[in-house]
Amino acid sequence: MNCKTTLLKLTPLVVACSLAITGCSSTKVQRVDANQEVALSDKWNGKDSQLVAEAMINDMLSFPWVNDHLQKEGTRPAIIIQSVRNKSHQHIAVDTFLNDLKRSILRSGQADFVANKDVRQEIRDERKDQELNASLETQNEMGQEQGADYALSGTINSFVDEQGGDRVTFYQVDLRLIDMTTNREVWNGQKKIQKLQERSRFGF
Amino acid sequence: MLSLFNTLHYRAWLTVALIVVLTGCNTTPANKNAILLAQQGQFEQAKTAIETSYPASGKNKLLRHLELGTLYHLEQRYQLSNENLDKAKAIIEEQYTISVSEQALALLSGPTYTTFSGKEFHRPLINVFKALNYNALANQYPAQRQYYLDAALVEMRQLDTYLSTLTDETGGYDGKPSGDGLTDRVMRILQPLLAPNDLLKNIDYKDDAFAHYISGILYESSNELDAARIQYQRAAEAFEQGFADQYDLGTHATKQAYTDLARVMQKAGGYRNELNELEEKWGDSINEARQAGPRLTVVQNAGIGPQRKEFNLLLRADHSAKALVVTPILWGTSAERKAQMWWFQMLYADTSLFDMMQNYATGDLGDVAMGALTKRLPLGDTLWQSAKTAGLIDALEHGSRIAVTYLEPFEQKIDKSELWIEGKKVAELDNYHSVSLLTLQSALKNANREMQIALTREVVKAMTAHKAIQSTGLQAFDGFAKLATSVVNAVTAGADLRQWQSLPAQIKLTQVPVTLGTVNITLKTKLRSGKVIEQSDTLEINKNMTLWHTRTFIESAQSAAPTTLLTME
Repeated sequence: MNCKTTLLKLTPLVVACSLAITGCSSTKVQRVDANQEVALSDKWNGKDSQLVAEAMINDMLSFPWVNDHLQKEGTRPAIIIQSVRNKSHQHIAVDTFLNDLKRSILRSGQADFVANKDVRQEIRDERKDQELNASLETQNEMGQEQGADYALSGTINSFVDEQGGDRVTFYQVDLRLIDMTTNREVWNGQKKIQKLQERSRFGF
Repeated sequence: MLSLFNTLHYRAWLTVALIVVLTGCNTTPANKNAILLAQQGQFEQAKTAIETSYPASGKNKLLRHLELGTLYHLEQRYQLSNENLDKAKAIIEEQYTISVSEQALALLSGPTYTTFSGKEFHRPLINVFKALNYNALANQYPAQRQYYLDAALVEMRQLDTYLSTLTDETGGYDGKPSGDGLTDRVMRILQPLLAPNDLLKNIDYKDDAFAHYISGILYESSNELDAARIQYQRAAEAFEQGFADQYDLGTHATKQAYTDLARVMQKAGGYRNELNELEEKWGDSINEARQAGPRLTVVQNAGIGPQRKEFNLLLRADHSAKALVVTPILWGTSAERKAQMWWFQMLYADTSLFDMMQNYATGDLGDVAMGALTKRLPLGDTLWQSAKTAGLIDALEHGSRIAVTYLEPFEQKIDKSELWIEGKKVAELDNYHSVSLLTLQSALKNANREMQIALTREVVKAMTAHKAIQSTGLQAFDGFAKLATSVVNAVTAGADLRQWQSLPAQIKLTQVPVTLGTVNITLKTKLRSGKVIEQSDTLEINKNMTLWHTRTFIESAQSAAPTTLLTME
């Protein structure tokens, strides 16, 4: 009788433990839209990269340098991305951000892009190879590259303020566009993002 | 008579059980084995040992990534090292939220049932190791040098955020004492034994001068002079205001940090007044190292940090004195037993006059002489009666095993380390950090709390078992049941020996002027035994600051020829 009472007393505990263990061991994976923000932390994420790129390029193209260039040269301006340095406290995939920038500019149709140094060298190697191996009709000439009119560069900075489980992270992206003939800065853009992360000290 | 026989019989069984358990306790942890394998160059076996012993999803997942991070670092596979250290950092962040259920389970079972969350000094060391990895990648791939140096600086910014929070909490070295009651108590206990050595005056980990210094070096490498100046200044002040004393580093690190501060101030310009103040304080010697031109900083991570080991105590009730008595069970090799005795005396034993008087007052004159080997907690009539009513005294009839940790003693094996460039000796390396002392102080700080928790846990376990015996009607087997409970508790009691084992014992550093271009360097480590370890490399010197690091294993040299050539960056 005593044993039965003890077992009865233990049953809810055993059930609770079993449920807890079952709950802990489950893994769930689901497909989500690439444009949907899934923020698991205050780190810089894909959505930040996309939003900042779009906002900055819209701002850049709203400045007078585009029309000035069209009126003067009669062609769309060609831009080269020099470098965007990560000076923040997070490891940011700068290449992904640069690709977002390029896509935004190309989508606008108001400017062209010139490949960067590494890609240009690869293409030149390919043209050299064509000179040896491709037919005359399909060969591409050397010395016909389009030079860039403007150079885009900038930095990603961040500041962090932390107290207990709360952390405020402030990201600031600064980009500038330089006229490669005159060294004139024709555009300077800035975009800021602030994130608040709250963590509790105790959990179940 | 029969009762006395039974008691003796049960105690004999308990002793046998304890011996079996203690024999099992002497096994070397997997991560210690792994780093011992690594120092012999057997990296694959070392990594397999870690991966087998610490699963990726278990409560020891942090250890897995910390140890793999170091092993890949030693193997010069820096990307993989950083991937593991990044995971370790994320796990430490997750552990900010303490799981109440896990803590409750730990209280009933033992500390090893909790998820290992590391120590407060692990996070800065992760940042430093990751930064050294990125720096090494920058040296390996000159085309991507800036990218990797930027990545190293990301680590230094994270480090700065962490240390700023830490100094806010602790007051840092220039703030007021933290007023931590536990630290003060540990200090008071240690005072009679270690009073001549001021080392333990303050054992809190409150800032990291070495980490700030490395940060300054990396900022200077990237020519970010303003950030370098701030970090050198923080390093210099922390070294000067207590870090150098706390980790027994001497004065050279402080002076070097001030010299570097003066150099970047001069490079940046606009700090005339500050430079004058530094010259007044340090004299002409600070000017010599301020010359413009490329510089080389060599960081030597030496040896293996001390191992945490288990130390067992027996808790029993003394009916005649109405006291709880804790007695150490010295076990293991002669050196281990000595270390256990030393640790117990340092922290727990009744070594003060006050405690000896308490022994005397409880009427146990025999233990006055043995005061150094017991810890007595007199309960008095009222508390003793309460303890009896609660079943505590009954539960401790056969005693209860308490397992706590102690740190194996470490000895200084390096006599000196010298930097040779192109066949000429140019400098000796100085001590910039002692991870051994850092680990020891952390263990000392936690020791009393650990003992308190272990004591509570074992008492709760014993009392719960005792009550379960009563409620299930097994009183007929009371004696056997109590013995079984004591044996089970003895087996399940275990100290938390988990730690990042592959860390170096100490970190040495020197900085010298060099010429641009390629240089051949050799690091000669002269051991007190007379043996010499040589490590050589060829470096490409940059225009600002070049940072080179290496790990020197001391033990491997002992079994090797007197002069060993190793090239491990």
